[in-house]
Amino acid sequence: MGQIEIRGLSIDYRKPKSDETFTAVENVSLSIEKGSFVTIVGSSGCGKSTLLMAIAGLIPRARGSIQVDGKEVSKPGPDRAMVFQDASLLPWRSVHANVRFGLELQRWTRDDIDERAMRYVRMVGLGAFADYHPHQLSGGMRQRVNIARALAVDPDVLLMDEPFGALDAQTREVMGDELLRIWERDKKTAIFVTHAIDEAIFLGDRVVVMGRNPGHIRDVVDIDLPRPRTAVMLDSPAFVAYRKRLREYIAADMQSLQMVEDVV
Amino acid sequence: MTRLYLRHQTALSALASFAVIILVWQLAVDLGYVKAFFVSTPTRIAAEFMRQLQTGELAANVSVSLFEFVVGLALAVAAGGALGVLASWSRTFEHVLEPFIWFKYSSPTIAFYPIFVAWLGLGEPTIIAIAFLFAVTPIYANTLSGIKHADPDLVRAAQSFGARRRDVFLKIALPGSAPLLIAGLRLAVGRALTGVVAAELFGATAGLGFSIAYYGQKLRTTEMMTSLVVVILLGVVLTQLLASLEARVDFWRTGPGR
Repeated sequence: MGQIEIRGLSIDYRKPKSDETFTAVENVSLSIEKGSFVTIVGSSGCGKSTLLMAIAGLIPRARGSIQVDGKEVSKPGPDRAMVFQDASLLPWRSVHANVRFGLELQRWTRDDIDERAMRYVRMVGLGAFADYHPHQLSGGMRQRVNIARALAVDPDVLLMDEPFGALDAQTREVMGDELLRIWERDKKTAIFVTHAIDEAIFLGDRVVVMGRNPGHIRDVVDIDLPRPRTAVMLDSPAFVAYRKRLREYIAADMQSLQMVEDVV
Repeated sequence: MTRLYLRHQTALSALASFAVIILVWQLAVDLGYVKAFFVSTPTRIAAEFMRQLQTGELAANVSVSLFEFVVGLALAVAAGGALGVLASWSRTFEHVLEPFIWFKYSSPTIAFYPIFVAWLGLGEPTIIAIAFLFAVTPIYANTLSGIKHADPDLVRAAQSFGARRRDVFLKIALPGSAPLLIAGLRLAVGRALTGVVAAELFGATAGLGFSIAYYGQKLRTTEMMTSLVVVILLGVVLTQLLASLEARVDFWRTGPGR
């Protein structure tokens, strides 16, 4: 039994300004081991972010269950922390105060809160930028702050919603390396949503492939590459084979979308 | 020299046009084209300004007007701010207030003056009430809109860390709307000053508006215009103070490097 157990999960969305609902995620079951790094990949609109938000407890579910450490998820909790894609830093707070933010909200005691925030600012390599404000930072630095903020509250599960989605390719690779370096220190359970296939393989112990209409799991691929992962692996035969397999899934999904659009 | 000129072009142009007007004004009277009785002159106004400064007349008028201004503005900030916060929490409350705000926006505030005289009598309380009425709407409107339009991405991020409603208000909505609140305050400062001076014109025993009306009735143009200049200076100083405060609070939206 995994640390996170998702069974028969369906999520409905109410269409804005109408009583109609549509199903964003249907009948998803997934078991995630403690300490594993799971990536979720799929084309846009496949419900991968919706699934993550549901695990975070930010959106309600229609059917099924999500359990973390045997407890049913109904709302956000200190056992989970979320890293968002972008624009989720408070622009009026410094780097240090942004990292403090989660600690304040979770009512950590005042004594060590500043020191603890500073420790995580340093951990993501921003020690010299603690007093800077988000508008003075590059996109990559901002996401470091985002990661530090999530890790500072010491969650059991780290949820990441396309955290590097807005970054350029080079920065993205550096951030991936950095994320793994930090993750390997204490191997917290990590769920990482992305639409980039290479990123999903490079980071994950397992890649969950999702398809659309409605969002469902197409396959779960175990990534049998040694850790620590290095850039050299990107060209290894095993990596290339994983990439090919995952691409086919995504391509099929895009094709089915094309057909739907043609019919309409 | 050219580069220096370009950098300060707007300021220099403004200063130049101002100097030209002052000069034309002075010469028009000195050369006998216009009678000093109608427009006075910059030199006479400057002399009268010094006289009022020495006799304490200036300080007395300014302090009376400033007191009414501060009290009226403070009441407007308290009431407008509180109503704005309440309206941002409750849609029903916002809708209940809406017709009044709407009336207030579409009617000239000074028309309420006789009602306040009937209720509060001539003088200070009525002047404060008019200043309050002038200033309260921008405070209310900006507070409401600032808090209501808290960035949903930031709210969601806060909620992911278990933020309660109070946390979202204190840590996201309030600091996030600070620039808009200051902008509302800047508008309110200008309007409160307008309210004070307008109300003093009608019924007061001291203050800058009273001084303008008093000397105006006595046809003492220079004295009247001196008070007018003081009102303008006061308005400029107060608005500039708020503008610098605005720049400081708003650094994260307008700051460099973005």
